Amino acid sequence: MPSSSDATPRRAWIRRLRRTRLTIPDWAYGLLTVLVLLWLWEYAVDHAWINAYRFPPPSKLARTFEALLERGFPRGVTTDTHFKATLWRILKGYSVAAVCAIPLGLFVGATPLLERAVAPIITFARSVATLSLLPLAVAWFGVGEFTRVFLIAYGCFWIILTSAINAVQGVSKQYVFAAQSLGASRRQIFMQVMLPGSLPRIFAGLRVALGMAFLVIIAVEMIGTIEGLGALIMEARNFYRTDVTMVGMIFIAIIGFVLARTLAWLERILLPWVTDLEEVQR
Amino acid sequence: MKQQRAFQRNLLVSWSGVIVVLVLWQLANTLRLVNPSVFPGPLQILDTALNRFPAADVLDHARISVQRVLFGFLIGGGLGMVTGILAGWYRLFGKLIWGPIEILRPVPPLAWIPIALMWFGLGEQSKVFIISLGAFFPVVTNTYKGMISVDPMLFRAAQSIGLRGPRLLAKIAVPAALPDIAVGIRVGWSLSFGSLVAAEVLAANRGLGYMIMYGREVGEVEVIVYGILLIGLLNLITDYLIFNLLFRRQLRWYFG
Amino acid sequence: MGKAIAIEHVTKRFNDEDERALALKDVTLHIAANEFVSIVGRSGCGKTTLLNMIAGFLQPSSGQVLIGGEPAGSPGPDRGMVFQHAALFPWLTAIQNIEFGPRNQGVPRKQRRAQAQDLIELVRLGGFERKYPRELSGGMQQRVAIARALANDPDILLMDEPFGALDELTRSEMQLELLRIWEARKKTVIFVTHSIMEALYLSDRVVVFSPHPGRLRAEITVTLPRPRQRSSHEFMALYEEIHRAIF
Ligand SMILES: Nc1ncnc2c1ncn2[C@@H]1O[C@H](COP(=O)(O)OP(=O)(O)O)[C@@H](O)[C@H]1O
Ligand SMILES: [Mg+2]
Repeated sequence: MPSSSDATPRRAWIRRLRRTRLTIPDWAYGLLTVLVLLWLWEYAVDHAWINAYRFPPPSKLARTFEALLERGFPRGVTTDTHFKATLWRILKGYSVAAVCAIPLGLFVGATPLLERAVAPIITFARSVATLSLLPLAVAWFGVGEFTRVFLIAYGCFWIILTSAINAVQGVSKQYVFAAQSLGASRRQIFMQVMLPGSLPRIFAGLRVALGMAFLVIIAVEMIGTIEGLGALIMEARNFYRTDVTMVGMIFIAIIGFVLARTLAWLERILLPWVTDLEEVQR
Repeated sequence: MKQQRAFQRNLLVSWSGVIVVLVLWQLANTLRLVNPSVFPGPLQILDTALNRFPAADVLDHARISVQRVLFGFLIGGGLGMVTGILAGWYRLFGKLIWGPIEILRPVPPLAWIPIALMWFGLGEQSKVFIISLGAFFPVVTNTYKGMISVDPMLFRAAQSIGLRGPRLLAKIAVPAALPDIAVGIRVGWSLSFGSLVAAEVLAANRGLGYMIMYGREVGEVEVIVYGILLIGLLNLITDYLIFNLLFRRQLRWYFG
Repeated sequence: MGKAIAIEHVTKRFNDEDERALALKDVTLHIAANEFVSIVGRSGCGKTTLLNMIAGFLQPSSGQVLIGGEPAGSPGPDRGMVFQHAALFPWLTAIQNIEFGPRNQGVPRKQRRAQAQDLIELVRLGGFERKYPRELSGGMQQRVAIARALANDPDILLMDEPFGALDELTRSEMQLELLRIWEARKKTVIFVTHSIMEALYLSDRVVVFSPHPGRLRAEITVTLPRPRQRSSHEFMALYEEIHRAIF
């Protein structure tokens, strides 16, 4: 500790402190709050201010976390089975939707008359709440994998389709003019101008659709299966294991985070020219 | 004259797709290409709509559903907006609070259902909680993003004509962030709506979600389809009201 | 080789009945092959609209545009355009932007690469070939746009305020380069600018437009030998004449 009589080093010390303060990254603040909240929670349960059964404390969650990784829940269904089941369903439904919706959207968007003819259908189909289709899909296809993947695909399809159509229509006329005056044919303009020009918005749609996939997966895993993270948290409820439900939610957050990051990474690789990824979201 | 004809032609094109779909769907039923009790046709559904349920009952279910969404949305969206604005204005608060928000954000609202049932039981509170979660996260993230990306030049300009403190917040920061807030509200509304259906399908004795479950229990697919169409229509109308009437008018400078 | 351009009684209206809202009203202008013509006039007097019609992006409401005696028709590589805002493809690097035309004309890879590299040197962007447009300054973007238009070696070069975003020094450099290219490769150039000085320095003929409705107000032929002295007496006299025609 520098003494106050010694003015110069003290000022240097303050300066250093200021400088270090400036370099604290934002996430450190966030982490601090999280740790404080977890500690408060633990403390409150310890002193019986809140019910340990309805609010299992972090220490309990940590033990459950470990137990789930080791033994799984319910007995015999390992955690990686849950992870794999959920991930597969999402990837299947999501990629089917993307593979169908992107080419179709590009085509519809580039054909104005067709676009006008199908616009009301798309608007309505998009408004239909995917989860309200659950009972219908069960009546049609039964309670099976197909129903689950179908609903995920349905929810994502319309979002991606709309974004692809808007993307094509939103490509600046300037670029088309420029390409025309450079002698590009219609086909060349489509492949080299419309397609790359619409990718940023298509990616924005893909991002929203991923969120939709996560909303739907939980609902469809709540019925007729014991495999998958949605099933895990619902099953835990049936056994009054709030701790397992909470750890299940942490698992879901982890998958969601990883998939969103993967998509952002893909976008940076595939669209190196886009400055601000957020810009496109508007 | 010429314009009117062009308008009529536009209208025809716009609806041609819908008409083609409806006709094909009905034909598939009439010609028994599909089983009408599993895949009911438009006429069958129209019949259900007109004769099976009294309009007053349907309106009542719709009213209950709208009330639920609105209530949950106002709580979640309101909290999200206030949190987002404060987090954007008081940067230290923002940095502190962003940790927990970022951790909870990837958890979809429906994953909270077991917890909500545990905390609030099977009643109305659980539903409102789930719905408000649907609105909270999109609104809070978009508001915060809007607040921190306000062009600093705007602040300098406002300060140079003497605006300070809360007036700077109310007159410059919030209006400048409004387009982002609007996006958050729109996404939040659709997520609230989606969560409502799940909440009602899971447990309710009134509301449009309940109508669908009723159809499932009595095994009448046309009732399910009717309920789905009603929910879709309600979503469409409310989204239109929010976006076009509220935002387009208030934010004309942004949306054009 | 350049081509002659004939603009005959061209009128352009954008869905508005009002006479004053005509973008162009009864414009007739003949441009000889290999001529360098500048168009000056206030904003909104229809300069961009006229270029767009020569390029083939827009059709006249009445009258006609002939290129080398043929109707202008749809846009093509014979008419290179440099847009007011560079309009570079943001997803292509500088050199890929320049290669866009030749690539789609089927020029073999090696040849078009070498060509594009020459153009990069011409517009003095050596070292920036692999940058995306967003990584370039406004002036650099504009130079890429000029190189891109030149890459097809078009008969006609249409330039819409191409140097507006450049700083004064780069601007005079680019003016010299443009004259060099024009003399070396023989093209018909239509050059839109806000600057009377620039128009006088570059062109064989300066055409003055006036707005509401857009009309051809005056034509001034410049016979001064190049390179021109901006401070010479004749130059200033012509400047005064054009200035008077605009106001
Ligand atoms: N696509 C368009 N639709 C309607 N009006 C237009 C369009 N393009 C140009 N105009 C109008 O035509 C006039 C001439 O525009 P422009 O050719 O861009 O002028 P300049 O390039 O000389 O500034 C302006 O009054 C402008 O508002
Ligand atoms: Mg212009």
